[in-house]
Amino acid sequence: MADLTTKLGSLTLKNPVMTASGTFGYGVEYADFYPLSDLGAVVVKGICMNPSHGNPTPRVAEVSSGMLNAIGLQGPGVDKFLNGEQYLPFLRKSGATTIVNIWGKSIEEYAEVAAAMDGVDGIAALEVNISCPNVKEGGVAFGTDLKMANTVISKVRAATKLPLITKLSPNVTCIADFAKTVVDAGSDMVSLINTLSGMAIDIHTRKPKIANITGGLSGPAIKPVAIKMVHDVAKAVDVPVIGMGGIMTADDAIEFLLAGADAVAVGTAIFTDPHAPIKIIEGIDEYLERHGCNSVSEIIGQVNY
Amino acid sequence: MPEVGEILKNEVLKGDYYKVVFYVPEICKNTKPGQFVHVKIANLRDRILRRPFSICDVDVETGELTVAYKIVGEGTKVLATLEVGTVCDLMGPLGVSFTPTKDDEFPVIVAGGYGSAATHILAKQCVTKGVLLLGARSEDDLILMDKFEEANFEVRLSTNDGSVGHQGLVTELVEQIIAENTDNKKLRFYGCGPTPMLMALGKMLEDKGYECELSLDHLMCCGVGACFACVVKVKANNEDGWRYARTCNEGPVFNSKDVYYG
Repeated sequence: MADLTTKLGSLTLKNPVMTASGTFGYGVEYADFYPLSDLGAVVVKGICMNPSHGNPTPRVAEVSSGMLNAIGLQGPGVDKFLNGEQYLPFLRKSGATTIVNIWGKSIEEYAEVAAAMDGVDGIAALEVNISCPNVKEGGVAFGTDLKMANTVISKVRAATKLPLITKLSPNVTCIADFAKTVVDAGSDMVSLINTLSGMAIDIHTRKPKIANITGGLSGPAIKPVAIKMVHDVAKAVDVPVIGMGGIMTADDAIEFLLAGADAVAVGTAIFTDPHAPIKIIEGIDEYLERHGCNSVSEIIGQVNY
Repeated sequence: MPEVGEILKNEVLKGDYYKVVFYVPEICKNTKPGQFVHVKIANLRDRILRRPFSICDVDVETGELTVAYKIVGEGTKVLATLEVGTVCDLMGPLGVSFTPTKDDEFPVIVAGGYGSAATHILAKQCVTKGVLLLGARSEDDLILMDKFEEANFEVRLSTNDGSVGHQGLVTELVEQIIAENTDNKKLRFYGCGPTPMLMALGKMLEDKGYECELSLDHLMCCGVGACFACVVKVKANNEDGWRYARTCNEGPVFNSKDVYYG
């Protein structure tokens, strides 16, 4: 067995495979399938200050090789997340390495949420979501403007000592510029890509297939776009990069590692097969053995031009 | 929880309605009335999501699980073409089940269209035999009546076009049952069918104070409560008076008193 230990700055994971925020609930939903501690990390669904309803339904639509979603960040709020039995206390007991995805409707709220998480036992890092395309306030508004992105990450940085991951939006002209600015602002690493903005119409009713009209595209349909962006960003910044976007199999994950990702996140594939992240960990290990690699770090960024 | 299931039968019930039987002994052992399986349909190209199906019947002895389905989209179109021996991946049983009828209660199942499929196991397991009120657009959309008769349920039908049974809505049959209940039997209602029908039923019975459970659903992705796609409104102690609940793991069965009708 190869050494799958993955170091992301001050954060050490037992393997490079985590779950993508929004696709794994708060962990508890999958706890009967396998020990959550087998994963590199569990990244929970986005948390903001107060409970939020999310968007009206329908919230999802299946499309060729993927899906659109506009869930709209339904969530319990900080207080319930930190103290409710089914949330962080459960994750703590499970032994999972927990990364909390956070968002806010204003810059102040981002900082407030980050401060509330600071020093809490059982939180390994924060992933700052400045890229959700499905909420009117907050989210992508901060992730598609270089100045705003810099400001929000600076404020979050000042509010917590936890390792910070900034989740980047692909819905921009040059994602590497956003990576650079959030790193300048103090982000310890970046994760990408969030979903691509998209739309689908029912030709019989002539209505958009989701109530929010537009949604975020995920699944294998977006993988080549994600690989390209991870490749660009890994070259542009010196911090760890977490790659995601359409990873269904270990082969997909390895492609991201070769493109320059230090770790990967599995999302939509979990809906197809809850065991996908575990199978991907095993598949990466087999690949490393087959290629005579002792550790996963040996293949990071090793694309042959 | 996921189990590989070989197709033992896959045949037309009538028209666009089909019945498929999977060999999944583990899922059968644990199934309770009103639960569902989340199926990765084999040979479904370029589609990544599973499809949820109510469990229509299980045989614990033989390990056979039956799903009744209608061809409504690409998934069910492909499912209908799968031959005996084809293998699909099933997750289940999932979701909250119906509360069984107590000895002193009289079960009334109110189903719309193939809502009869999701309530069949409930009828089989009822200790006291009750009545099925089954409504649909037309006679062509009524299925599984014989199965309820086998379970000693009285079956009353309604159709919008009057092709069979009472012409009108199934909720009118509910009024009828309540009016006939002169000996004050303790009625317990179970509803499964299209959302507008269930909303009408739940509201009506809430006003009258009867016990009622509704099987609600919505477009589903994960099936286990992680993605928050399949939500419906339920009453909540907040300033709006409601919250979105996941039909996959907080439902699909909800007490009608908990459903938000606003």
